[in-house]
Amino acid sequence: MNNGFFSEFFGTIGMLDSIRVTLIMSFFSTLIASILGVSLAILLERSQFPLKKLVIRINRTLMGAPPVVIGLLSYMLLRKRGPLGFLGWVFTIQGMVFAQVLIITPIICGMVYTYLVRQAPKIRAFAHTMGANPWQTNLLILQEIKNEIYFSIVSGYGRSISEVGAVFLVGGNIKNSTRTMTTAISTLKGAGDYYEGVFLGIILMLMAFVVQTVADTLRKEVTEDENY
Amino acid sequence: MKITDLKRQQGEFCLHIPSATFETGKIHGIIGGNGSGKTTLAKLIIGILSPDSGTIDYEGLTQQDITMTGQKPYLLHTSVYQNLIYPLKIRHIQPQKDVVEYWLEKAGLQHKQTQYALSLSSGEQQKLSFIRALIFQPKLVIVDETLSNLDPDSVHLFESIMLEEQSKHPITWMTISHQLVHISKLCDQVHFMEGGQLLQSGTPEQMLYHPTHPSVIQYLSNTEVSFKGRM
Repeated sequence: MNNGFFSEFFGTIGMLDSIRVTLIMSFFSTLIASILGVSLAILLERSQFPLKKLVIRINRTLMGAPPVVIGLLSYMLLRKRGPLGFLGWVFTIQGMVFAQVLIITPIICGMVYTYLVRQAPKIRAFAHTMGANPWQTNLLILQEIKNEIYFSIVSGYGRSISEVGAVFLVGGNIKNSTRTMTTAISTLKGAGDYYEGVFLGIILMLMAFVVQTVADTLRKEVTEDENY
Repeated sequence: MKITDLKRQQGEFCLHIPSATFETGKIHGIIGGNGSGKTTLAKLIIGILSPDSGTIDYEGLTQQDITMTGQKPYLLHTSVYQNLIYPLKIRHIQPQKDVVEYWLEKAGLQHKQTQYALSLSSGEQQKLSFIRALIFQPKLVIVDETLSNLDPDSVHLFESIMLEEQSKHPITWMTISHQLVHISKLCDQVHFMEGGQLLQSGTPEQMLYHPTHPSVIQYLSNTEVSFKGRM
């Protein structure tokens, strides 16, 4: 690292923009995947249909699907001649969010579904004995497993912020546009700039820590408010 | 409450009650061995289970008037206070401070209302579940082996609460218990179940001291020491 490290580093790699892109992408992909994943998990737990076991198995498979495969699939869907080419999302943040949603939704859905299968029947029975209506019962189920939902979302966010393969393929790692912190680290490594890569990695981990702390603080406040 | 031709098949087990009447405002005791269908009947009455066939005539009562408390109560992951007022909350009733304090004091939980409910002892959890079931003044209460594993003082407390509530505004109680002393002390009617059938009903005097059905005689003979010895 030379004396002009910071000015050079900020400019060359587009660090500030990569932080901005990372935050936007992980926030929106986690938000959309959380809404979809929790809703699908509730629907899956409530419904009985012939291929339910197969659907659950497919979802579990997708939980561990290689991001680069999802990235390739997303790219093929979003490219100009692809079925979703009209959206014009290839090499944009929207396209990266699209790919991330495909990766994270099964994770959140699978985790929440597992909690629901274990907890929902007894909560439902309890709510019934208390005279709760179906809407109150569903609300109670969500309240009772809110911590588990929270951990599922945090896991999804962790996957989103650390992912490289899919965002590389769909976003194209374009400087000041679709370069994220992880793809920037990958680029730095390719150029042999290991120290800069580690520096960016530390910033990435600090960001994850700050987001986690904020989420924990909000969660704690909610829990304390509810106590009395 | 009238039951007509109630059937429920669960694997090998089949509950079948051709006809039964549970008089309103009375305390009914349900006795019988393990696996006789007592809890299945309770779940059918409260609506957790649906019958395969048959009807239950609640005589005007709705789901909002009926409640049940079990041996392993479900407590919400929140404070004692929030657990207690939950039935009021879902009925959009503002919890009155004196009412809440009255019930907490009854159960000896007045100093624990801000405590996390799941950190209570199992006996205290039972008490909380019991007063939570009563705070909204239900018309039919099913008590499913709630008194099991409780110390004598707690059993006495439950019994006194039941009798006190009964004297204020008659509730129809259905108490499922193996504690025949408790059944004998509290109940107006006793019903004996075996193999998914309601074999005999009668007053505690008829059922516990002068049983006529061979299965009831057999059931009581097994509990001779624990029951007759304490009377």
